[in-house]
Amino acid sequence: MSVDLQRLSLSPTKPAFFRWREVGDNVVITNFEGNFLILSRDEFAAFAEGRIEAGEELYERLSAANFLRETYDVDRAAESYERRKSFLNSGVNLGILVVTLRCNESCVYCHASRANMDAVHTDMSPAVAEKAVDLFLASTSDFVTLEFQGGEPLVNFPVIQHIIEYALERNKTAGKRLEFTMVSNLALMDDEKLAYLLEKKVQICTSIDGPEKLHNAQRKLATMDSHQKAVHWIRRINEEYAAAGLDPTLYHVEALLTTTRATLPLWREVVDAYTKLGCRALFLRPLDPFGFAERTRKRVEYDRDDYLEYYRNAVDYMIELNKQGVEILERFAAIFLTKILRGEDPNFLDVRAPAGTGIGQLAVNYDGTVFTCDEGRMLHEMGDDTFLIGHVDTHRYRQLVGHETVHTAVIASNLDGQPDCVNCAYNPYCGTIPATNHKTSGSVFGRMRESNVCAVHKGIQDYLFQKLATADAETREILERWTTVRPREHFVQGVEAAEAETAGAEAAEPTP
Amino acid sequence: MTDTPENVKAELSRGAVNLEVDPSIYPLGAIYGAAYIFIDRCYVFLYRPSETSLRITLQTKEPEPAEETLRALVGEFSNELLSCAWRRQITEENRELIQAVTSKALSGAMGSPSLDDLADFDFSDDEFEDPLGIAQSWEEKHGRKTPKEPAEAPAEAAATPEGEGADS
Repeated sequence: MSVDLQRLSLSPTKPAFFRWREVGDNVVITNFEGNFLILSRDEFAAFAEGRIEAGEELYERLSAANFLRETYDVDRAAESYERRKSFLNSGVNLGILVVTLRCNESCVYCHASRANMDAVHTDMSPAVAEKAVDLFLASTSDFVTLEFQGGEPLVNFPVIQHIIEYALERNKTAGKRLEFTMVSNLALMDDEKLAYLLEKKVQICTSIDGPEKLHNAQRKLATMDSHQKAVHWIRRINEEYAAAGLDPTLYHVEALLTTTRATLPLWREVVDAYTKLGCRALFLRPLDPFGFAERTRKRVEYDRDDYLEYYRNAVDYMIELNKQGVEILERFAAIFLTKILRGEDPNFLDVRAPAGTGIGQLAVNYDGTVFTCDEGRMLHEMGDDTFLIGHVDTHRYRQLVGHETVHTAVIASNLDGQPDCVNCAYNPYCGTIPATNHKTSGSVFGRMRESNVCAVHKGIQDYLFQKLATADAETREILERWTTVRPREHFVQGVEAAEAETAGAEAAEPTP
Repeated sequence: MTDTPENVKAELSRGAVNLEVDPSIYPLGAIYGAAYIFIDRCYVFLYRPSETSLRITLQTKEPEPAEETLRALVGEFSNELLSCAWRRQITEENRELIQAVTSKALSGAMGSPSLDDLADFDFSDDEFEDPLGIAQSWEEKHGRKTPKEPAEAPAEAAATPEGEGADS
């Protein structure tokens, strides 16, 4: 039976501000600064009605978590809130460089609005690349990740090399903690390119859609062996890391998954495929509404309830594997658990409020046009320039970050101004993406009750709180461990490794 | 359309649907906000048939839309309207918090101006074009009226109906 607030005589004096949500047999309450408690329904009724007295176990629990007016600690709340929002103190830490739109693979859900391999006009020029680097190194953030994207970035490898050389030289005066990341399908990798990337400490990420058959059906190469090629290079790169004396539990190729309808029944096979590859993290990403995914939506999309069932099955299985000594974590869970259990924000730009749109990331397209985020760049490729805010030839960093579209995105992704979110118990841990809202509802604010992103975020947090409510000590310990961030100092350049400990989440990995 | 609320009228032949709302329930700003997101798909017309009613016409750009399309438009508009109205209220209630976070986010991201930024800054005292007097203070624009001779004052007031009250 659910909680009926109308039958409760709510106390106007005992509870401090709180939000609540029923999860299973319990009620989760959260407060302004993001503390939480999981109460039984009877405990919740006693709290809401003020039937609690000092000295009682429930009273002390509520007081310790700052849920009571008479013991409310304003300073502690302010400190917690400030710590949770500490990402507001710095600017763009993720600079996306779309070095080409050309791609050798054709994916059923392609987000990137790819171009064919003969579309050489979609290659970034060295001149544009230098201006993009100058832009990102002008950020107020002392930690900057330059991420090479495409299309397939290896198609325009000379410009990647040019960017790396130029950025390292420029950073001698900019003094940033600098990291390079490349998101590649690896099919065009060769020994020479790999040697260069390893020497320059470029973090390499790829896409693995699970088992071979599924991957090859969704990510098509003319030779139909995209999985084999990716797996070959993942193993090779991981061997190189190990040979260089790097801890293999921390240094390995990161792989990303895109969940389609065909993935849903294969949750076990997906997890097994990742663990077999030595991956220690799996990001169960649902489909985005961008690029080809929109046109092929009917074939690959699915109901978000079905996604959440898949998610729960997969993460349950991952927890079981952890109990058997296989270390693997799910990234959504790690992001939310870090916020919930540690009171910190791992600065994942799509799940924070305000979102990273324009203030945490910028994307430079191959032609020098600048967007608030990669999603905005993808919308541009679909004919919508809402998130286009300038060009590297004509706009400086401050003009771009101070652009009115960025102001709008900051306000639109503030959950304290958002219907539904303002009352949601998960407000302190959640985030919304203005570009996704714009694409799906026509408004940067979106309508959360109709939003797939909201459904996924709520569903995952429901699952996690249910786990926290019922977890045995071993499960709890696994979930706690997923929130432990280990910095990857090797990839951070321009500073001593020790300084990297305070670096942003882009350079760190939660512990599986 | 079947099972349609009284305030909704479809005109299938025109590919349009009319929705009448009570402006005492929905602030005008919320109606504008909700209507605006349809302009990529529809021509949107607002009309006030009476003091207690405001009519929104959504005429699809797509010729001869299906009835389901019109029904979906009404539903989506109604949801967006509620969303805009509630958001307007929340924004008022949480204005200070939203302003503080926005200021912190933008100042943290923008930082101090660089020398190049400052070089472009207009430090001059030169006047800029302001044909509507937007940058003028109220005193500069209207001035304090010079006290008139007692005999002239009533006639002057009667000749200038746009007095201070009209501007305020």
